Amino acid sequence: MERILVLGAGTGGLVAANLLASHGYPVTLIEKRETHLFQPGMLWIAFQGHNPSRYTRPVKELVRPGVELVHGEVAGIDLGDRLVRLADGRTFTYTTLIIALGAHLDYDATPGHRELVERYGDFYSGASAAEKMWSHLRELTSGRLVIAAADPLYKCPPAPHKAAFLAAYTLKRMGRLGSVEVHLALPFLHEYPSEVVARIVAPKLEDDGVRVSTLFTVESIDVREGKIYSLEGEELDFSLAAVIPAHRGPMIRVEPGEVLDEDGFIKVDKYRLNVEGYDDAYAIGDSSNAPTSKTGVTAHLGAEVVVDRIMGYDSRFNGRTNCPIVADGTASFVISSYGHPPVPVKFTRFKRMLEDLFIASYWSSLKYPERWAPIFRAYFNATDPRVISGGW
Amino acid sequence: MSERITVDARGMACPGPITKLVRAYRKASPGALIEVLATDPGFKPDVEAWAKRTGNEIVELAEENGVIRAVIRVTGKK
Ligand SMILES: Cc1cc2nc3c(=O)[nH]c(=O)nc-3n(C[C@H](O)[C@H](O)[C@H](O)COP(=O)(O)OP(=O)(O)OC[C@H]3O[C@@H](n4cnc5c(N)ncnc54)[C@H](O)[C@@H]3O)c2cc1C
Repeated sequence: MERILVLGAGTGGLVAANLLASHGYPVTLIEKRETHLFQPGMLWIAFQGHNPSRYTRPVKELVRPGVELVHGEVAGIDLGDRLVRLADGRTFTYTTLIIALGAHLDYDATPGHRELVERYGDFYSGASAAEKMWSHLRELTSGRLVIAAADPLYKCPPAPHKAAFLAAYTLKRMGRLGSVEVHLALPFLHEYPSEVVARIVAPKLEDDGVRVSTLFTVESIDVREGKIYSLEGEELDFSLAAVIPAHRGPMIRVEPGEVLDEDGFIKVDKYRLNVEGYDDAYAIGDSSNAPTSKTGVTAHLGAEVVVDRIMGYDSRFNGRTNCPIVADGTASFVISSYGHPPVPVKFTRFKRMLEDLFIASYWSSLKYPERWAPIFRAYFNATDPRVISGGW
Repeated sequence: MSERITVDARGMACPGPITKLVRAYRKASPGALIEVLATDPGFKPDVEAWAKRTGNEIVELAEENGVIRAVIRVTGKK
């Protein structure tokens, strides 16, 4: 009997499972958490004091009838035997597998990191960590807020920029942006990995009062002394800091091990998204090694491609990104796809409205992806990097 | 002989090759050689800027059949 197994009820897994159910496929979704977190929401909780309840929902409210939701932690996958094992010993077989387990955050890669998150929270580790960050930010009257990263590879490349913009805006409203310095320390050569984007973001950061260091990859953190040291040999003092942890593939056993890359991400065909060497298993979103940015948009679009393929269409994933860079009242997007590096996209109020619409549509687009598909398709076609290569 | 690490970043677009270099650099000990192979044309100016800013030495930088080969000696680490 046919059984499609989806692992992980994050962005990609929910879109895939709900789409499959809408087409009448029997689907089982396995998730270890009870609550789904809209991850970009952590920025708004941590730096603007939003209520976490805006960004969390019970997983069971996000699945359609027709999706069998299993609460449990995946421990291992055997691709040859088509078998998934849970930590509690239960096993599941499948005819088709979709792996959407996201990325694992590796705090142990950076000495002092766990202590930093315990003390100050951050904007990557969950809603309560973000609340903790906010409780410290609102008390900060002087000194330096550092936003940094432990590795150049992390989900949502403009997240630290968004953090810095939102924090600077909050401090400005509190009348403290002069006495508190917002310092963005980036592991890249320029203010953004793509120089085209850097040329647009750099002046905006300066206008909004954000100081920037480039080529600063966090190597270790001394919480007691309030110092962050970089791999490149520099150091920064801080009063408050958030460091994006190093990312790894999901912490599960996969047989055969050759389908994992050196960081534990699952190797896929970058267009078809099937696991290398298997046509009955796919990996989407952050858990795959597809050579594009790790974002909710790519997870969502990847889920659509995989469902199409399961239905017999020859859909291909094009690596499209649409990472929003939110600033005070305006936004820009990092728009690229395979073979098309990011195009210059100016900060405008209209794009901020679009981003606010995307955020507002989130819960509905997870549960009813087919209703949003034509709207998103129109947007993605109109803003295809080939169409707007001259700039937008 | 000193430690030698090879990083194959062929087929990766910017900033892939530099990301791979940074990760190899994290693991490398002082004096080690890091060899990076890349096809992204932006890698050449990027690796030069990276080496200059981080105080590491480029021992070799050449392009052959569309493949850029950079060999870096780790001199920027104490
Ligand atoms: C601060 C921040 C801002 C962001 N901003 C944006 C943005 O503006 N736009 C954008 O597109 N993206 C953004 N992202 C990135 C986006 O949130 C992720 O890329 C996206 O969630 C990836 O979806 P996914 O389905 O691959 O993984 P996830 O959404 O992370 O889902 C993985 C799921 O698998 C579950 N899981 C993991 N391991 C197991 C296991 N062993 N057993 C069972 N279940 C397991 C997890 O609990 C989780 O529910 C942002 C991320 C952060 C942190």
